[in-house]
Amino acid sequence: MTREDRATLWRHMRAPVLSFVALMALLAVNVVLGATLPFRAVWVAEAVVVVCMVLTVLLVSMEVWSEPPLVRVFSALGFFWLLILFGMTLVDYLTR
Amino acid sequence: MPDAVTAEAVDIELAEQFVTKEQQRDVGTLGMWAWLVTELLLFAGLFLCALILRIQFPADVTLATTHLKFWIGATNTAVLICSSLTMSGAIVLSRLGWRRGMLGCMLATACLGTLFLVLKGYEYYQDYDENMMPFLARPYALGAHPSTRLFLDIYYVTTGLHGVHLITGVSILLVLTWQASRPRFLQMHQNRIEIYGLYWHFIDLIWIIVFPVLYVLNR
Repeated sequence: MTREDRATLWRHMRAPVLSFVALMALLAVNVVLGATLPFRAVWVAEAVVVVCMVLTVLLVSMEVWSEPPLVRVFSALGFFWLLILFGMTLVDYLTR
Repeated sequence: MPDAVTAEAVDIELAEQFVTKEQQRDVGTLGMWAWLVTELLLFAGLFLCALILRIQFPADVTLATTHLKFWIGATNTAVLICSSLTMSGAIVLSRLGWRRGMLGCMLATACLGTLFLVLKGYEYYQDYDENMMPFLARPYALGAHPSTRLFLDIYYVTTGLHGVHLITGVSILLVLTWQASRPRFLQMHQNRIEIYGLYWHFIDLIWIIVFPVLYVLNR
């Protein structure tokens, strides 16, 4: 592999490698929080970390950010339906 | 790269129902996303059940969660994140036309997926050994707390369903690797690697949610 090949490879692999590092770091945060339970409402911090991990996979690994608009609409709609599903169901259980 | 085709030669074969190759690529990606959205809704129902059990029976769910193998779950999450990196590597190298590297990345992804399944199997074996399988006709360790059965049933259905997706994913990946090892694959079907990559990343995405929902949030 020539120096030019290595440069080409790094240019294309930079985003996946950076997202990998970010995901591992976020996982480490969640594992530490889960193992030590440092404060009472720790689940809020854990949930925020999970949302960050999901967004990283969607936008970088699955390349939703650079897809055509229709694909972006499909992926967003999937999570929109989840909001309705979770929202309406949990409103019932949390207000009983 | 001795076993490479030029990036310009990487292409797809135009099927007759499409006007352009770009349209064919977009339709393939959109079709995969349409299916992944239905899969997301399938898993979402299970996540929702787990959260409702957490609200209804907090003490019993916490008790059941403390018996789950937290560190195996965490290790498996790391394994799948590594497999996402190798899958991204396969996609990037397929776009560049570096066939040998792409095949190596695909095999590494399949190996990491298999490692996940082995660790999951070991976890199930430990659960069996500790009498933590309430659906079997044998003693159940938390029999004095009946609500824990509900949570553990959701745990086994969710992780089992994810495992089925992973077994399917590894099988398809091995077939795709065999197809991609043949000459002219990248000149005719490069987009198959990208479309399959979406499925693999989705399996990773689901586990990234499964781990906190079942193992972490309820501790």
